[in-house]
Amino acid sequence: MSKSEKKIVLKSLDNEAFEVEKAVALQSQTIWVMCEDKCVGNEIPLENVTGQILAKVIDYCKKHAVVDGDGDESSEELKNWDTEFTKNMDQSTLFNMILAANYLNIKSLLNLTCQAVADKTKTIDEFHTFLNIENNFTPEEEAQICQENLWAFDD
Amino acid sequence: MFSKVRAQKHHHSPSMITSLPDDFIVDIVARVPRCYYPTISLVSKSFRSLVADCCLYILRWKVNSKDRLAIIRSLPIIPCNGSYVAVGSNIYVVGSSRALNINCRFHTVQPISHIPKKMFDKAIGIINGKIYVIGDCWGDDKVSGNMLWKRVMVFDTEIQMWEQSQTWSVLYFYDVHKNKLRAYDPKQRCWIDVTGLEELLPKTACTDTVSYGGKLALFFRNNGDAQKIWCAEIALERCQGGEILGKVQWCDVVTDDGNFHMVKCLTVTV
Repeated sequence: MSKSEKKIVLKSLDNEAFEVEKAVALQSQTIWVMCEDKCVGNEIPLENVTGQILAKVIDYCKKHAVVDGDGDESSEELKNWDTEFTKNMDQSTLFNMILAANYLNIKSLLNLTCQAVADKTKTIDEFHTFLNIENNFTPEEEAQICQENLWAFDD
Repeated sequence: MFSKVRAQKHHHSPSMITSLPDDFIVDIVARVPRCYYPTISLVSKSFRSLVADCCLYILRWKVNSKDRLAIIRSLPIIPCNGSYVAVGSNIYVVGSSRALNINCRFHTVQPISHIPKKMFDKAIGIINGKIYVIGDCWGDDKVSGNMLWKRVMVFDTEIQMWEQSQTWSVLYFYDVHKNKLRAYDPKQRCWIDVTGLEELLPKTACTDTVSYGGKLALFFRNNGDAQKIWCAEIALERCQGGEILGKVQWCDVVTDDGNFHMVKCLTVTV
């Protein structure tokens, strides 16, 4: 296989081009299917992902392409890396990562990002602000639910 | 399962978050630890119905393999000497008259209606989603007023109501003190000794019974040999005079390991 066949170019929504190893890009089932079907050349346009998000997705795929298949120590290291990777992402980046992971069909990244949102969303206010959900209870309804839940809140 | 959430998001907000499909919101909620669900139920009406939806709990099993143990953080006062049975995701605690329903899925606890008559020395079991409580009650007429009588009360978990047993099937009970197999006939409201087992029963110790497929399995240790657990399958026949005749169909050792202690015999479908 020649050097150029091992590499693949991913093009983002905003026309940013990323040259990556094929093994890295093929973690995306969507890209894998595109390559299998030979419906694209060496350059793959990804119309739903911006350059900023695609760069992060590629970082993730690079890390996982290197370490996958190694021993236990590596999987522990990979877990720590995943935690660090999502730790400082803001809500909009996380949501865009979820959408990108879904579009590119990278199951482990989708799990990681959904879990990261779940870990950051614990209080009612976080739900209202983070998920942008409106509270549509009347104060009376809210008080009644609090009463029903009373023993569950009591740690 | 969560189709209404979109309508309840802030449409006027310029945030990109509104583009997150509902499926992902459900996925995220399935990953939040269960102890936060009371909080989530206060987020909005659609979140409240989401945490009440069984589909969410099926998804939890898929995305969160660690979440197998439901820890109940605190409970109200539990009736002392309460008996515990589980029906679906509910645990029922039945005291002598007070009873509670603990819902392990939604972490709620509710008193259920009191048993109509105070019951002592109870045995409790479940048949087809109904809780059968067999125990002693004080008599309710002049003749039996100061005596304890065996009664069977049934709690229907569907309609959450107590009723007197309407079952015509006979309930069996091994009387440890008299070393006899006794049957309760709900039609006659009386206890009858099962005959025909005079040869078998004197040899048994630490006996427990369980009924299955119209027969009765008697698990016991043979007097003098603590290592072995025996099982006798008994067919039961109603005689014309109302007597119940037991016929031993087979009897054999089921384990001779010596490490087993019989705690409770239950019939399960496998």
